[in-house]
Amino acid sequence: MNDAHRWLNEHPELGSGPIPIEPYIAPDWYEREREKIFRKVWLCVGRVDEIPKKGDYKVKRLAAADTSVILMRGKDDVVRAYHNICAHRGNTVVTETGPETFGRSKAAIVTCRFHGWVYGADGALKHVPSEERFYECFDKQKNGLSPIHVDFWEGFIFINLAETPDASLTEFLGDYAAHFAGFPFAELSYQFTYYTELECNWKVAHDAFAEAYHVDTIHAGSFPNTFSTGLQNVKLMGPHRTCAVCLTLGATPTPVAGIANSIAGASLVTQRAETMLPPSINPDKREDFAFELSVLFPNTLIHVSEGIWFTHQFWPIAHNRTLWEGRYYVRPPKTNAERWAMEHAMTLQRNAWLEDTATMEDTQRAMQSRAKTVQNLQDDEILIRHSAVVVDEYVNA
Amino acid sequence: MIRLCSVEELDEDEILRVELDGGHGIAVYLLDGEIFATDDLCTHGEASLAEGEIEDGKIVCPFHLGSFDIRTGAACAAPCSIALKTYPVEVIGGDVHIAM
Ligand code: FES
Repeated sequence: MNDAHRWLNEHPELGSGPIPIEPYIAPDWYEREREKIFRKVWLCVGRVDEIPKKGDYKVKRLAAADTSVILMRGKDDVVRAYHNICAHRGNTVVTETGPETFGRSKAAIVTCRFHGWVYGADGALKHVPSEERFYECFDKQKNGLSPIHVDFWEGFIFINLAETPDASLTEFLGDYAAHFAGFPFAELSYQFTYYTELECNWKVAHDAFAEAYHVDTIHAGSFPNTFSTGLQNVKLMGPHRTCAVCLTLGATPTPVAGIANSIAGASLVTQRAETMLPPSINPDKREDFAFELSVLFPNTLIHVSEGIWFTHQFWPIAHNRTLWEGRYYVRPPKTNAERWAMEHAMTLQRNAWLEDTATMEDTQRAMQSRAKTVQNLQDDEILIRHSAVVVDEYVNA
Repeated sequence: MIRLCSVEELDEDEILRVELDGGHGIAVYLLDGEIFATDDLCTHGEASLAEGEIEDGKIVCPFHLGSFDIRTGAACAAPCSIALKTYPVEVIGGDVHIAM
């Protein structure tokens, strides 16, 4: 057995051939992804602690499904989801100011600013100005907000835009949920977010983050000489996938990074004692374990590590345009020194993300030349191969 | 005289809704240390003003952002045009009372 091909040996069903480029550049393929994936499966759209108080809401734009979703916490403390469209003449009920819009209403209502129709967090249409001028066929009871299926896992909010979802969220997550169960996502609540629109297909963005092969070259500046032992513990779970990314022991950080690491240990590339990882993560207790890299199909990457977790999400806007959101979470700092050390770690991470996103638009532009029709993947790029196979299965289902 | 609540229950940032027998709602405000009471129901729609926000001595309705002067009940911003009923308040032994 060739150890250099260990993942192929474990997953011969994925094959070893080249991967076609057409799904990354063809508008009609993207149309099928919208229909067969983004309007069908559970999508992670936020965390319950983003809308902590009764009456808090967030509106998230989902271009791939041609809608925006209102997530609102009711007076009963239940978070519900609705399409952001008014039953009167189709305006957005909440005026959006960007890909995500936050608001708060003590009365737990939202009001359409066009003609003042008022909806409760339970979706009911509560008030129509000059209601007497509407005709008998108009039934207020039947004109509430259009609900969207919503469910929760470990504080993450998921929605499903299908009329009747093919599977419950629990069924959809399958073993993925068990793999991460118990990680203290909610405790590590101090966070920063970066987002931008990238001129690339959402899978180009996914692929760039779904391997560690690139680290030695593209992150030579932000994380020099750190990663080299590659992926471990690859686990494919239905449409989802996970693995451990390992780092080289003994790499010397820059002096300032060294100080920051010793104060807060908030950087991914520092050695930290394991206290919070569920048993399924780094099961062999490898010393060089840096973080778990997982893909929650279709477009959410969740990474966990000791004291840190972070996510990337790729929201398609067009076949060659993607909204990327990166979020990084650590425990809230208790001292100014910790605060500084965390800012340092976050800045390093931001730099790495900038390096990551830098290749994506170039890749897309070059792929669109169609001068090459396939990509050639090595064994440690198995998560990308799995993604291509899963997307193909969904699109051709 | 009808007893609404004790002075202690009031807070500058929170408006207290008190429901009288028969379901009539009264909104009780603490504004710069002074106590005021008005009807809780907006004169424009079925909104509870206790769920609105206080801005510059006015109560802003959560439904359409119409507003009323808390001291006088005068309608201050559209779509509200009908004044809000206010009640003279008397504090007796630490309790807030209104005459109806
Ligand atoms: S219901 Fe109060 S302003 Fe419309």
